[in-house]
Formats: sequence, structure tokens, C-alpha cells
Amino acid sequence: MEISFDKEIRQLRLGAGETFHGEGILAITKALLQSGVAYVGGYQGSPISHLLDVMVQAKGYMDELGVHVQACSNEASAAAMLGASIHYPLRGAVTWKSIVGTNVASDALSNLASPGVTGGTLIVVGEDYGEGASVIQERTHAFAMKSSMVLIDPRPDLAVMVRMVEEGFCLSEASSLPVLMELRIRACHVRGSFTCKDNLAPADSTRKRFAEPAGFDYAKLAHPPAVFRHEKLKGEERLPAARRYIVDHHLNEMFDAARNDLGIIVQGGLYNALIRALQLFDLADTFGTTQIPMLVLNVTYPLVPEQFTSFCIGKRAVIMLEEGQPEYIEQEIATLLRRRDIQTPLHGKDLLALAGEYSIELIARGLSGFFSRYGWADVTPPVEAWLAANQARREAVADLLPAPLPPRPPGFCIGCPERPVFSALKLAQRDIGPLHIAADIGCHAFATFEPFSSGHSILGYGMSLASTAGIAPMIERRSLAIMGDGGFWHNGLITGVQSAIFNRDDVVLLIFKNGYTSATGTQEIISTPNQLTRDTARDKLQSLTSTDLTIETTLSGLGVKWMKTVHTYRVAEVRRVLLDAFTSDFAGLKVIIAEGECQLERQRRIKPWLAALMKSGERVARVRYGVDEDVCSGDHACIRLSACPTLTLKDNPDVLKVDPVATVIDGCVGCGLCGENAHVASLCPSFYRAEIVTHPRWHERMVAAIRHSVIKVFARS
Amino acid sequence: MPGPAQPITILVCALGGEGGGVLTEWLVEAARLAGLPVQGTSVPGVAQRTGSTTYYIEVYPHALDAGAKRPVFSLSPVPGAIDLLVSSELLETVRHIGLGMALANRTTIISASTRTLTTHERLHMGDGRVPSEPLLAAISRHSLEHQVFDMATLARESGTAVSAVMLGAIAASGVLPISRAQFERVIADDVRGTASMKGFAAAYGALTRQKESRDFVASAHAVGEAPQPDTTAAPTTGAKADFAEFPEAVRPTLALGFARMLDYQDERYARLYLDRVRTICAAEASQAGLALANDFATSRECARYLALWMAFDDIVRVADLKSRKSRLRRVRDEVKVKPGELLKVYDHFRPGIAEVAALLPEAVATRLRSWDRKRQARGAEAFAPALKIPLHGILGFASLKILSSLRWLRPHGSRYQEEQVLIEKWLAAVARGATSNWQLGQELALCGRLIKGYGSTNEQGKNHLLHIVDHLAAAAFFSGEEERALAVRDARVAALADDSGKALDVVLSSRGAPKTEVREIPIKFVRQRQPPKAEPAPAK
Repeated sequence: MEISFDKEIRQLRLGAGETFHGEGILAITKALLQSGVAYVGGYQGSPISHLLDVMVQAKGYMDELGVHVQACSNEASAAAMLGASIHYPLRGAVTWKSIVGTNVASDALSNLASPGVTGGTLIVVGEDYGEGASVIQERTHAFAMKSSMVLIDPRPDLAVMVRMVEEGFCLSEASSLPVLMELRIRACHVRGSFTCKDNLAPADSTRKRFAEPAGFDYAKLAHPPAVFRHEKLKGEERLPAARRYIVDHHLNEMFDAARNDLGIIVQGGLYNALIRALQLFDLADTFGTTQIPMLVLNVTYPLVPEQFTSFCIGKRAVIMLEEGQPEYIEQEIATLLRRRDIQTPLHGKDLLALAGEYSIELIARGLSGFFSRYGWADVTPPVEAWLAANQARREAVADLLPAPLPPRPPGFCIGCPERPVFSALKLAQRDIGPLHIAADIGCHAFATFEPFSSGHSILGYGMSLASTAGIAPMIERRSLAIMGDGGFWHNGLITGVQSAIFNRDDVVLLIFKNGYTSATGTQEIISTPNQLTRDTARDKLQSLTSTDLTIETTLSGLGVKWMKTVHTYRVAEVRRVLLDAFTSDFAGLKVIIAEGECQLERQRRIKPWLAALMKSGERVARVRYGVDEDVCSGDHACIRLSACPTLTLKDNPDVLKVDPVATVIDGCVGCGLCGENAHVASLCPSFYRAEIVTHPRWHERMVAAIRHSVIKVFARS
Repeated sequence: MPGPAQPITILVCALGGEGGGVLTEWLVEAARLAGLPVQGTSVPGVAQRTGSTTYYIEVYPHALDAGAKRPVFSLSPVPGAIDLLVSSELLETVRHIGLGMALANRTTIISASTRTLTTHERLHMGDGRVPSEPLLAAISRHSLEHQVFDMATLARESGTAVSAVMLGAIAASGVLPISRAQFERVIADDVRGTASMKGFAAAYGALTRQKESRDFVASAHAVGEAPQPDTTAAPTTGAKADFAEFPEAVRPTLALGFARMLDYQDERYARLYLDRVRTICAAEASQAGLALANDFATSRECARYLALWMAFDDIVRVADLKSRKSRLRRVRDEVKVKPGELLKVYDHFRPGIAEVAALLPEAVATRLRSWDRKRQARGAEAFAPALKIPLHGILGFASLKILSSLRWLRPHGSRYQEEQVLIEKWLAAVARGATSNWQLGQELALCGRLIKGYGSTNEQGKNHLLHIVDHLAAAAFFSGEEERALAVRDARVAALADDSGKALDVVLSSRGAPKTEVREIPIKFVRQRQPPKAEPAPAK
């Protein structure tokens, strides 16, 4: 990737007493080093990409400390990496996006949690839930419970998050349990500060290696009969040890208060939202001092029964704030209270929403119901008035607008190499009829939005081809699976391609070869054009993905017989290759490699290069497209085939015409899709391609001058 | 220690890739420089380009001692508890006002006056844009103070991203107890310093001036309104005509239409235009009261769409428009060619048989079309060479000039004849409608909007219009002419809403009219290989 993390790496080097300023996820990264972590791995994904990106770039410093960093091929390989801590006293940390990453990792996690760990292991998961999330809405909590792993959900305060990382490793070692730490989206991106400690170089490391491997120990294998003993150990020794640690080190926080007839139990991650909600009732001040007792669970699994009983006894009622469903914590507390015959009423999902992010408004509404039920009539009126006023304002704005505002989902970048393929696919379907299209995870999933509205299903990262296995034989027309190179290496090669070849599936697979896992932040993969090629390319404008053939050779090696490579911007060719694939007599797996390097990465190379050429007075040609406003038909068919952000509308300069015309605005990178579409789809002849040459060479200037003088004669006639 | 003040809350709305993250970083740094406790956060992922994103910052307005308890900041905005809402796009501003974020007696709103149209707005076949007026009204109604200005232009002129301009605006708003010097220091420390500083200063200056003039609302509306074309000024052309016999309200449009006909064809054609409009004016005048009350809107709109239809786009017209001197000037401006730079312009054309046949007499045209149909029946693609004509080249320019001189050929062409027949058919329907019910005439005249473009787009528009004329304007049964007028209006709106024609069919069916004819689209139908025959059961 072409982004530099120098500034972040400097932050990682801070020593004791210095103050760190920055994002939550970088603070976690620093905390790993302060804890003496020996190895780090993971798979990128919002919101935790930053952890790994920075670590990978900080290779020099990591070598100094003796820390091994690995960008794993998927979450399963990251989880398996933690196997190092089963036998050896090595602290290890891995990271990924959850719930999806945890799903992929779960096989290895089960097999890790069963024998348990010697060295502390921490799994940092970005809980991609609520506003801004991009995956299915499920809870990581279930995995912690089923595999008996600790789950930390820290208060979103940098100092607390850092402390919980350090405690997490100790807790893991004290209990032999792997520890998960879930961080919500906003907690990963929160900017704050904390006072640093020195980084600890791990005792055993890449600089101080073990002389010999550990001895054979059957009990450390996830294999029968050892697994039967492991299950017992979890309940009889490990979980109790974890509970002891949680209590002894005050990981959960109990806040007592004056009005102690009611109480609130809250996941640590929701603490700030709860305090802001309580401020609305005038039950908390700016600094978090509350008038109602609170039990803040920085560790949400395992729960410590004694903490709940002591909190609940003597209260008229308690309410549990637990985001997501099902309400595992609330259910466990209910069981606990029932078993000990404690009659304190327990509320939670009965007063708060079952699904969705717990926003401050939603929490306030739930608490208002709770307080009024138990007679705290003095605190609810201002909140009820506030809730009603919010509603009234929303209605007032809605009344003012002619229609609800159109949504604005993310989309393909300007000049994205994937957009033209979906234009071609739209056009190809005009010829062969609608297709069953299995979509996948990646930037290309943006094609599910308007104007392409393409794709029948998304079954997971790299799963598109596998997901055609059941439907393809049932449909007359061939089915199409779309996959990015990121998804291909993550999973698609094995679950999709291998299976399709083995079963002789008659399907079409289109692989976007853009060179990076772009949707997660353009991380590099095995087929990324190598750095030397990128640095030494003479023409930085060109796509360099063709310089790496790992995907092609892998597919040939696996036995793919029908494989065609096509340059994505050539819409006519892409359309033709699609038609070929769908009408070919060849009955096996047909693979189309759609090649075009990620525009985001290219622009990061191109911009400084062009600026340098410009400065040194060398010839630079830039391309952009335009629309002739008096020729444009104003029906916007071109936009319905592309939706490039720079192809937009402006008022029609012709006073007789009422509909806006298409226009190309600044920012056009001259990818050429407009012109290609105009040709392939026979759109109106309003598009032109403009090449602007700065510092033209002498012969160019001469030719231009001759042309100009001849044309002048014509123009007069 | 100062009293229990609340944090100052700032909600930043931007589009992915606009630098909202950098802006948040700057704000946090500036507060830190000023010694104030601060927290910022956001939701966007790393590569979620062009979608709407928000950033949220809280600043505690007093410095705290090292060991003092720190405020608990919120990670998400609270409806009605925002002090400053800053947004780089007008619709996004209102999206968050619509979520209840802004409060009239608390929130200062700083918003871009410009729109970045959403994909949804851009897809519409007519005009799907959300009008700016209600958006501006929402801002002024739900803010304590508001400053709406053109951030994009300021950013462009300063050679920087919009984030620097937003920071300048925030600094100038005075909502934060942070000095200009402190903001500037943060920018100076940044790698993108120089350009950002220019953008910052430009916005700071612009807003301070605007604030001093205390004329926010006026300036907001001045920027937000789309320029209204001056229709009274008719272009000056050779032939003169006297429009006195026409109603006054119709004359400006008529003058434009007349000039368009002269530009497109000749004086004879322009006279034909006047004759046609005259018929409609007479028909509308039969409903004198309504016609006057509505300023002859039917005749006006009919004159507009008739001019556009009569000046239908063909190869000659396109070649003419593309080879005009004014066009080359416009292109140079649009792509921003600087002195000393060379410009090469390539025009994308893909003329098909239909376009060529249009200029030929009917008999020849029919033969040409049938030749192409036969080719296609044999599996060949339709004959339509994809051309990139270099306008800067001598041959390219000459060929356009030669094509544009073929105007004389036009009236002898098959397309010309066909268009005139259809135009007469539409006009007859408008005239009939206008005589029986003013509203019906008006709706039928407005249907002229369906005619635009080239090739299949143009064909489809004509088919839809004719279908409305044949089935809604005449045949279908309605209890009254008012109801018929409503049906015509619904059909027109539907036809503009959806290019597949499905929405139109829904309206037609609901009014008891037949659906539009399904166009023939040749589909290559490919069956999968047949499944293998079941193998005989193995012998025991």
C-alpha cells in the first residue's frame, strides 16, 4: 500500500511518562507492545485494519523488539497462529473484523480454547455493529460462551482500553483461557490520549529463540481423550480462575450512589452512552459522577455471580443494558438470581430495543420507562419532553421536504476499474437475458446499489462461486459468480474453484484482479504487483496488475481449462468475453480475469509523479472527458450505465429544454468509461475525450500550428 | 476550577474521501494545543468512498489540572444537543437536521451551499434533483445561526481539500474557545500545510465578512438559487417575424423557437413552426378564461416542446453543433486548458444504419434498413462503427464541416417526413384537448417532454407519447375530461420515472388502457448442456 504510517510508528515508540495522542485502535497496538507481545497476526477489515497495517509497516522497530508480525491469509490462519501459546510462554495477539472474521476463525479458536494456553493470547475484534457496520448483525459474545473464552468489552476510554489489554494477557495466563477483546466501531476510531509505559521486549522472541521445541504432551492436543478432560477443566478450573482474577484486579467497576433503590448493569462499551443518557435525567454530571448505582462490566464473559448478587440484593429493581441479541448476559443473570432465590426484578430487553445499536436516545427512552415504573417521577419529565421534541422536529423537517431524502451509500471511486465490468454486464444481459449472479464481499459489492442493482446473494468473503453450486444446475442459463482477488485468496480458491473443478460445475467465475484487498484499505496480497515493479514503472499511469500472474498460474495448475483475461476499461471486450463465456460449448468452469489496478492505489502513485514531471518542465498529458451540453439528450442513460461521481448533472443551458444535462466535473481521472459506454451502448454523441498536453514537444507544437491554420480556413466557410 | 460546564459538541458531515478524518484530527489537535480536554470519533471505514459519513467531536471548554477527573465524552451525537453542525454538502446538512440533530435555539450551522448529487437523483430520466429551496429553509428554521457558502469553489481556488475550508469556517464561527493562531499552528504542522493554510484563510475571511454583515439568510438564498434564464431576450438572427398576433405570454418562447428553426433549417421551416403554434393558441383561446388565467401556459409549453421536436437531432445537427467555434471555446474552458498547453479533442460517435437512413429518401432508406436487419438475422451485430473523430485534426474537422453542410438534404430524408407526421398527430391531440378541457390540453402539451435524445431513447419517447395520445387522450373511457387530464399527467410522470416502461404500464393498466407494446429485443438464448441420463442400476 502506498500510504505511510511514519507518524503512527513514532507514537508506538513512546516511553514511560510520555503522552500518546491518537486513535483507539493505535492505542491498543501500543498496549500490545507495552505488554511484551511476542507475535502479532490478523486479517484486515474495518474497523481494525489500522492495527495490522501499522504493525506491518513498523517491521524495523518490531525486529528491534523481537516481535514477529504476520499478515495472515485469512482469519482462520490468524487464529491458528495462536497455537504458539499452547506450549510456549509467548504472548500473542491477533485481530480481525467480527462477526465475520470470528466465524472464519472459529474452527481454530475451538481447538485453541480446548487445550488452553500457556502464554497469554489476546484476540482483538472490531465489533462491526450498528451505524456504519458493513456485515451481518450478530454478536461475538456467542463465540466466547461456546468455546469458553474471556470476552472483554472495555469502557471506550483510551486509558481503560490500554489497561484492559495489559490485564487481558495476565488474565489469559492466570486462567489458560484465550481472551477476546471487542471494540465497537466508534471506539476503534476514538481520538484521545493516555500516559504511556515503556514497551517490553518479549523474553522469548525472534531475537532470543527457543533452543529446543517443547516436549510431547498429549494433554495439549485437541484430540480425544484429552478433549473430555479439557471440557471439565474449563468449568472446574479455568473459568473459576478467570473469575478470581476479575474480582481481585477490579476489572469490573462498581459505582455506588445516593439513590440506591434502583441499579444499572452495563457493558463497558456502552458506558459513555449511558452517562450521557443519565445526564439528560440529571442523574449524572459531566465527569461521570452518578446518582444511581452502576455495575460496569469491562469483562462480559465469564460473569462473576457474587458481583451480581451483591449488586442486586436490597434494590427494588435493576436494568441490564446489553446491545444486540440474544441477551445472553441478561439471561445468565436471571438464571443466577433465580437459583439463589433473589427476588429483585430484572429488566432489559423488555424495556430496551431487541435489535440495533444502543444510541443515547434509545437508552434514554428505555431508562425513562424503567424509572417511571419504579416511581422516580421527578427525573422523567425533561426526558419525555426531549423525546417528544425530537420527534416533532423530525416531522417538521419531513413536512418541509417534498419527499424523503435519497440515501447516499458508498460507491465505486472515480475511475474504479470495477465499474466498467458492471456496465458491460448490464449490456451483456440485454443480449442474453437476465442471469443469476452470486455476489461477494469487496468493493464490487457496491454494484448491488443503484444503478447496477446486481447480485442475488452474498454468502461471505470468497463464497460467491461456492454459492452457485446448488442453483446453477437448476437454471437454464449459466450462472455467474463474481469475486475479488482479495476474496479469491481469502477463501474462494479452495471453497469455490477447487470444488467447482472437482464437481465439473458449468458456471462462470469473474475475478476482479485489482491487485489489493481494496475495500479494507488496499492491503497487499500474494498477487499484488511487487514493490520494485511499482517503483520502477516508467509510465505510472498504467495498471500494473498484469505484471503478476500468481492467480493465472494457480488456476491453470488447478486444472482450469477455460480462462480469459480482459482489461476492464474495454467495455466492448468485457461484454464480448462475457457473451463468450455464457454461450461457449465448453461445459466446465469458465474463468474471466478482469484486470485493472485499484484506482485509489494508482492515484497515490500518479499524483506525486505528475507533480514532479510538471515541476521539472517535462511533457505531461492528462485526459479527461466531457459532455457537449447542446448535444446531450438529457435522458441520463449514460449515468444509468456508470454512476461515476464525476458524471453528474447541471442545469440545461438551453432555455427551451427543461431537463438537466449530464456534465463531467473536476476530478475526472480520464479512465475512459464514458466514451466506451457511449460506443458500446450507442448513447448520444455528446461525449468527447480531451487530452491536454503540458510542456508539449517542439514537433507537437508544429503539427498543432499547421492543423490550426488549415482548420481556421474551414471554420470560416 | 470553573463551574460544571458541558462539553461543546460538533457534528461534521462529509462524503467519504473528502478529508473528514483529517479535519477531525486537526480539531482534536487544536483543542489540545489550547489545553482543552477533547475527544473525536467517526464511523466510516477505510475505503467507503463517496458515501455519507459523520465525525463527532466534543471539547470541554476549560483546561483541567493534570490529576483532575476528566469529563466523560460521548462517542455519538445526541439529537438536539449539537452546538455546531458543519457540513460539506447541502443535502447531508439537512439529512442530519432531519434526524433531529439541530436545535433552533442552540445549533450553529455551517454548510456548503452546493450539492453533490446522489446517484439516485442522477438516474432519473427527467429531473430527479432534490430542490435546494426546502433544504435551505430547513437550515434557517432549525438553527440559531447559519452560514451557507460555496465551500467547493473556495477549496478549488485555494488548491486544497474542502476539509481546510471547513476548518477555517469552524475557526471563524467562534463556537470553540480556540484562537486562530492555534488552528493555524495545527495546519502548519501538517504535511499538506501550505495549500491547506490558504483554504483555511479564505474560509476564515469569507465567514468573518459574512458574519459582520449579519445577512446570513439573504446570502444563503442568493447562493442556493439556480440561475433563472432570461427568456425575454430573443437571440438576434437574420429573418424577422412579427409575433404581435400571438398572446403576449407566448412571445418569448415563440421567439426562441423561431430562432431555433432558422438556426436548424430555414425560414420556410420557421414559418411552419409559427403556423403550428398559431393553431394551438387558437384552440386554447376557446377556453378564454382559463387561458388568460394561466398566461396561455398550454401554448407556451407547446411552443417550447414543438421547437425542440421540430429541431430533432440528426447527424447533420450534431456535426454542426460539434464543429462550431463557440464549442471549441467551451471545451477549452471546461477542461481548463492553460496557456501554452495543447488540446486534443476526440468526439465519440457511433452512427447506425438508422441515422444514415434518416437522411435518405424513404425508398432507399427502407432498403438499407432491411439489409442491416438481414445481417443481424444472420447473427452479425448491427452495423454501427464506433468512431473517435479527432476534432483537432484536419480530416476530422473537415468531415464534421462537410456533414454539417448537408442541411439541404434533411427535408428529403425519411426521418423528416416521419417526424412531421408524428408532430401533427401530437398537435392535433393537444388542440383537441385544449378545446374540450384546458387542463387536458396543458397535460398533453407537457407530454412533449418525452421526446428527446437519439436512437432508441428517441424511439421509446415517441412510442410512449403516441401511446398516450392514442389511448389516453382519445380512446379510453373516463367519467370526465378532468379525470382524463389526470391520467395523462400520471402517465407522463411514470414514463419519465423509469426507462424500462414498467411504471408507465402500471399507470396505463390502472386506467383501463392497453400496455405499451413490448419491443422486440433479440436475445441469444443459451441452454445449459442437458443433464446426463440416469445411469442404469448396476447389476447385482
